[in-house]
Amino acid sequence: MIKIKINGKEYRVKENLTILEAARQVGVEIPHLCYHPALEPEGSCRMCLVEIKGVPKLQLACSTSVKDGMEVETDNEKVREARKAVLEFLLAGHPLDCPICDKAGECKLQDYYYKYGLFEDKFEEEKPRRNKLVRIAPNLILDQERCILCTRCVRFLREITKTEELGVFNRGKESLISVYEQELVENNYSGNLVDICPVGAITDIDFRFKMRIWFLEKKKSICPICSRGCNINIHFLPETFPFKRERRVYRVTPEPNPKINGYWICNLGRYGYHYIDNDRILVPSKRNENSEKLEEISWREFYEDIGNKIKVLIRRKKGEKIGAVVNLSLTNEEYEILKVFFNQCVPQSEIIVFGKEKGKADNFLLTEDRNSNTRGAKKFGFVEKKIDIKKFLSNKELVIFFGHEITEHYAIQFLSEILKSIKTKVLIASNKGPLINLMDYILPSCVVAEKEGSFINCEGITQKFNRVLEPLGKSKSEIEILTSLAQRSGIWRNFLLYRRTG
Amino acid sequence: MTPMIKEKLITRNLEIENLYKIEIYKKYEGYQALRKALLQMTPEQILEEVKKANLRGRGGAGFPAGLKWGFVPKDIDKPKYLCVNADEGEPGTFKDRFIMTNNPHLLIEGIIITCYCVGIHTAYIYIRGEYEHVAQRLEQAIKEAYKNNYLGESILNTGFSLNLYIHRGAGAYICGEETALLESLEGKRGHPRLKPPFPASVGLYKCPTVINNVETISNIPIIILKGGEWFVKKGLPKDGGTRLFSVSGSVKNPGVYELPTGINLKDIIFNYAGGMKEGKELKAVIPGGLSAPILKAEEIDIPMDCESLMNANSMLGSSAIIVIDNETPIIDVLRIIVNFYAHESCGQCTPCRNGTWWMKNIVKRIFEGNGKVSDIDNLLRIANNIFGKTLCPMGDAASMAVRAILEKFREEIENYIQGKE
Repeated sequence: MIKIKINGKEYRVKENLTILEAARQVGVEIPHLCYHPALEPEGSCRMCLVEIKGVPKLQLACSTSVKDGMEVETDNEKVREARKAVLEFLLAGHPLDCPICDKAGECKLQDYYYKYGLFEDKFEEEKPRRNKLVRIAPNLILDQERCILCTRCVRFLREITKTEELGVFNRGKESLISVYEQELVENNYSGNLVDICPVGAITDIDFRFKMRIWFLEKKKSICPICSRGCNINIHFLPETFPFKRERRVYRVTPEPNPKINGYWICNLGRYGYHYIDNDRILVPSKRNENSEKLEEISWREFYEDIGNKIKVLIRRKKGEKIGAVVNLSLTNEEYEILKVFFNQCVPQSEIIVFGKEKGKADNFLLTEDRNSNTRGAKKFGFVEKKIDIKKFLSNKELVIFFGHEITEHYAIQFLSEILKSIKTKVLIASNKGPLINLMDYILPSCVVAEKEGSFINCEGITQKFNRVLEPLGKSKSEIEILTSLAQRSGIWRNFLLYRRTG
Repeated sequence: MTPMIKEKLITRNLEIENLYKIEIYKKYEGYQALRKALLQMTPEQILEEVKKANLRGRGGAGFPAGLKWGFVPKDIDKPKYLCVNADEGEPGTFKDRFIMTNNPHLLIEGIIITCYCVGIHTAYIYIRGEYEHVAQRLEQAIKEAYKNNYLGESILNTGFSLNLYIHRGAGAYICGEETALLESLEGKRGHPRLKPPFPASVGLYKCPTVINNVETISNIPIIILKGGEWFVKKGLPKDGGTRLFSVSGSVKNPGVYELPTGINLKDIIFNYAGGMKEGKELKAVIPGGLSAPILKAEEIDIPMDCESLMNANSMLGSSAIIVIDNETPIIDVLRIIVNFYAHESCGQCTPCRNGTWWMKNIVKRIFEGNGKVSDIDNLLRIANNIFGKTLCPMGDAASMAVRAILEKFREEIENYIQGKE
């Protein structure tokens, strides 16, 4: 630890920090554009100039290391004037098209002008014209007019993905960012370029012109797309939005977590959010025995129907006729309940586990395992095993399916054949899928964003998450469903007992 | 008036025909300094002589060469490099070309001694792309030096080895800035690096690197032959030796003049360069390459050394003297300066990239007759806002050059804007 003074106040900070990092740790903000904590300092934007006592020229906070006894001024007249000067240069070369810019509201240039600028516009020359619609990636558009050449994007692709698809071309004011020879930015992390772009130069085709960001609210969650458990922010329209909500979620961005995902998320996680609003199962339904059509029922009706069936089977000591097909994407808390319900309260009932089919790992964040809680499931004894599915299903009278995962392992025709012999087939799932047509009861469950609970990621780290959104339609969490079902199944006392004792 | 003949160091044998050929060069003390250095002196003794010589860098910044070499760490398991800066991009400067064309072996000899002194086994000459024939001549000279065992393995059977390569630039002014030069040499965009670390500790390929100008290195052989004390007497106590002045503009005899450091600017223009062209009067002088703030005619009675020019708020720079006559409108000079910096700004840092471009646009508007008097203050404000905030010295150079013109010739520019003669 060393002693430094920032704006006259003494602090003890770690050695080997830059002035910017040290200031940030003690709560002093030094504005910056090209600096990013995950990238090598470039020192080109010149926003972070500060005064160091005894040094005649202003110095860069982003790349100057703190030294014992150093006295730094981050907000005196000289520093403020320098900042204004840099901002004025940046804005002189900038199109100021904030009204049609997606970044407006979270643009660093805009924020810094309000905080550190507020000068009169003395720029009377013609604004430079550049290509505003450069398709640099299948998912990204580059506006070369808005670009302030901080080169965060270039450095991200050089240092993090090591793919180097973007470069700086030309010189001086003619400098611009572009791709080489029309080779697009095609890597699984390209979406991060939108987040690290401090201005609206790189925008996301998925988000572009869809929603003004000041209408959106954001809350932390965990990405359920693979077993990494990247920390994310879900940006959604709150219920207080004064106009019709066409959907709730508009985008997903990474929430920094050095232990898990650093500052990044992959494109699968970023763009895979549409399932939250689309193709959802909204109400409980039951297949009419005569017409074979699905008809809406109340949750109560479901609990009574299925609860009674379980009760009868238990009474007749035919627990083995009850089965559950469980996936690997439920929360730890849900697995605990499942364990109590099936293993402890319904004797002889049988459970099999199916996860999602394996994908390709990308050697960075995305894992082969595309289930969000394989390690959590294992902790409670739910492990994928090779079994004879025909044998398992053929003697059952009541089977509850959690999710559609089984259809990733068996052809639907094969499944529909062997499911015929089962009297009552129940699906609990958040989204529509191939199992719907084979089921007698269909119950809407919550997506991760509508739940609270915890996952254990591929590295064994347990992460809690809170509810971001209200459940859509009449969907309920698996915990709620199983608890209510336990009440109606005549196993309530045991259920409570085992829950308490674990 | 005939100018006094001054003693020449670098250009001393230049009247000799074909001096660029190794057999001729060797006849006139060529490679004698190398023999002395490698066979009779230790690296420490060489460094001592160079320090005594008070040899200041001839590239523009005027940093003492001995001090620079001394910064290179001695015991390090990384290779060390020498990069000779032959980018010579400063407008008005053509002295390095003069040396390399007429006496390439002098430079090569200086390089070998420098490398022996610092413990370097690989050296590069970074030469500006436009100097094609100069590069060819250097290539030829290097080949000859290899043949004579002045380069390559175990030079003069001393066990000391050195390889020397030529790297041609691609025409960017910024690559004359030492760290941009290193980036370019590594095959990247010529963008200046953040300092610290300085090249002496982290330079080419992240290894300790000495970067010196052609003229600086060309002074080394004579320092070794005659000694540092002798050398320092040829110039000023703190700024030893002679300088090659590139004189251009409205003088009768433009050219390269080797004269003692500290010689009067007036003397150079009116005696050595033959005075103003017929019928022209002196209006102003840019004394050290385009980056050096302009001097008015009445300010030219000044010794040409680093300190005197700094005290006059200008700089010696690359000792390139651009003489401007009274028929040249100052707005033209200003326009050329701002266009140059806007064109050559590498674009990396904000104040230089956007500041030089902004100034260029204002001056263009003024030049086209659409200026306002208030533009002058705005230009001054912009120049001040660039100053001290850029990543490399180019921003400061642009700022100072523009500021000097606006301050010293404000009336003329105001008259131009208002349409007065």
